[in-house]
Amino acid sequence: MSTQPALAVENVDAAATLTDGKPRRGPARRTRSSGGGGQRPSTRLTLLLVLCSITVLIPLYVTVSMAFKTQAQAVDGNAFSLPAPFSVDGFVTAWNLTDYPRAFILSVLITAGTVAGTVILGAFASFAITRNWNRRLFRWSFFYLLAAMFIPFPVVALPQIQLTGFAGLDNPVGVTILHIMFQLSFSILLFTAFLRSIPAELEESARIDGATTWQTFWQLIFPLLAPMSATVGIFAFLASWNDFMMPSLITSDPSLQTLPVVQSIFQTQFSNNYNVSFASYLMAMAPAIIVFLFTQRWVMEGVTQGAVKG
Amino acid sequence: MPRPSPRRIARTIAAAVALTIAGSTLAGCASASSADTVQFHLSKPEAIPYFRELIQQYNASQSDVNVVLDTSSNLQAGFLRGNPPDLGLLNYNMEMARFMERGALSDLSDMPESERILPEVQDLVDQYATYPGRTSVLPYSVMAASVIYNQEIFDEQGLEVPETWDELIAVCDQLTAAGITPFYGTFRDPWTVAQGWFDYTVGGEVDVAGFYDEMNELGTEVGPQSPVSFEKTFAQPVDRMQQLITDYANPDAASRTYGDGNLAFAEGEAAMYMQGPWALGEIAKTSPDLALGTFPLPMTDDADDLEVRVNIDLAAWIPEASDNQEGARAFLSYLFEQDVMDEYNAAQLGYGTTVDAAPVTDPRILGMKDYYDEAAFYQGASKAIPLTIPTENYTQSIALGDDPAGVLRTLDADWARLALRQ
Repeated sequence: MSTQPALAVENVDAAATLTDGKPRRGPARRTRSSGGGGQRPSTRLTLLLVLCSITVLIPLYVTVSMAFKTQAQAVDGNAFSLPAPFSVDGFVTAWNLTDYPRAFILSVLITAGTVAGTVILGAFASFAITRNWNRRLFRWSFFYLLAAMFIPFPVVALPQIQLTGFAGLDNPVGVTILHIMFQLSFSILLFTAFLRSIPAELEESARIDGATTWQTFWQLIFPLLAPMSATVGIFAFLASWNDFMMPSLITSDPSLQTLPVVQSIFQTQFSNNYNVSFASYLMAMAPAIIVFLFTQRWVMEGVTQGAVKG
Repeated sequence: MPRPSPRRIARTIAAAVALTIAGSTLAGCASASSADTVQFHLSKPEAIPYFRELIQQYNASQSDVNVVLDTSSNLQAGFLRGNPPDLGLLNYNMEMARFMERGALSDLSDMPESERILPEVQDLVDQYATYPGRTSVLPYSVMAASVIYNQEIFDEQGLEVPETWDELIAVCDQLTAAGITPFYGTFRDPWTVAQGWFDYTVGGEVDVAGFYDEMNELGTEVGPQSPVSFEKTFAQPVDRMQQLITDYANPDAASRTYGDGNLAFAEGEAAMYMQGPWALGEIAKTSPDLALGTFPLPMTDDADDLEVRVNIDLAAWIPEASDNQEGARAFLSYLFEQDVMDEYNAAQLGYGTTVDAAPVTDPRILGMKDYYDEAAFYQGASKAIPLTIPTENYTQSIALGDDPAGVLRTLDADWARLALRQ
């Protein structure tokens, strides 16, 4: 994982090559091998990637330009026109209507809690399960946890609302716990698959040196899990940051709502406030985009990790 | 690449978790501490700035009650959990009526405010559902909707507002001859078909409330043999709706959305538009000075038989489960002070619901005033059908050319099946 090729598609190939030494797919399909920098890029592949990036860039362009339009220009039916006159009214309105800073901080706290909780609990559980695979209790608990993947939240929404109400968890703490819970099964699936590829001898050597289970986990296994933790963390981040339904249903105090929920007031049947809503969406997207810009390298690595191992 | 030591990672993560939990718990305590808080639910975005200011004034004027605006909580979840907002002020429809029907809303009949509500407006609430011995929903604002027309175009063509079906057809023919699209349709949004085209044509001819009384009584017996049914009673108005659409709507109506319609109508692309007052604000975003008027869609040959469509835009209620009904009632009284109500209705183009409400003055909705004052109004026929039945989509398929009789027969069958289930 030391090289960082520029394109994600190549990276999949690179990872496939690196993991077990031989390519998974027929060599004829691969245009370049990892690390080779001198060859000419394929025109067809470039075109395809240009198309792919356009599907992302155009909506992004519309979002940004819409956000800076005046209300009259926002409804004129020309999504692609540049803002004229340039206006930040949308941002001001959105900021005030949603009480942005508070909602933002709550979203950040819930997301941070979810990511940390998912990574730690997922790693704990997977470590215990893979190292005790021959015991029935652990094997079955793995299947039990996996079974949760088949239960979508809307199905259990009503009892969850009542239970959290009884337990005094109808607040962001409850949302965080539920986010972790719903993220756990997929994360355990990823972690266990990765843990199986770590040789048991590595652990045995640590034990011979006198390490306890706790020490083995924190000083040996958890650092080895880092790439997979990144993957799990990214999935948990996206799921938690973008979630609308869970916080909307679980949190009872409206002043503790997250960004996606407070933003929902801009979408009504009867009125279009494109400039305000896009300004608001942009403010909600910004953190994710900024984080991505700085962590691109690990994100790419993490996603391809999941692609091969999952 | 170099990795930070595992202990540091562990410590950082532990700190993050601790911070999160501490932060959320603290926030939870802060908001739960004051017992005399009234959580006021209002989800109409246009109205938020007005009520936010009102709440500030109210909170400053007294020290017993602290009103907190709630624009985002989920009502179903709140009622289920047993901590709904203390006071709700929102659109009243079939979904809200379910809570009332099951006795989740407290009785307000002993409040002096309930005496001031116009009886014919209070009747609108009862058309959905009632709870024995209670008046638990007080209408705050009514939206009257009818055909919006472009006065400039009408003046240029020397047209009068039509009062009978034949006059309407004559107006449409004259507009078509002059190369002007009579009606602008936005059929890509199914709700616009149900709200405008379907409700206006049906309500212009059928006694909507009476029809649904009979339909509810018939229940499972609704069908080809029953004395009233969608297929039988709605046949003529729905046929006429399709006629208006085929002959007089813009040819690209099938691909137009509500937003497109507002823009096109604001730019004078059509003479008439079947929308409610909510569209007037959207049209004004593009053409603030456009002279617009409203008239009820004439569906019969009797010029005295004209009615407008109404809906309860905002209605106030206080849940049984509220732990601060006293405070909620105090704030409700403040909201129902006549000048507070009048100011809201004037700003949102709504009609007042009380006996002493100020008359509407906005020229755009003045055309419906006489009908409203005489209670010549009906609630939309599409709104009296439970959401389980996809009425809006059915009406859309008629607008797009499906056979009306077949669709109405489906509606009858759905109605009977739903009645069997309940």
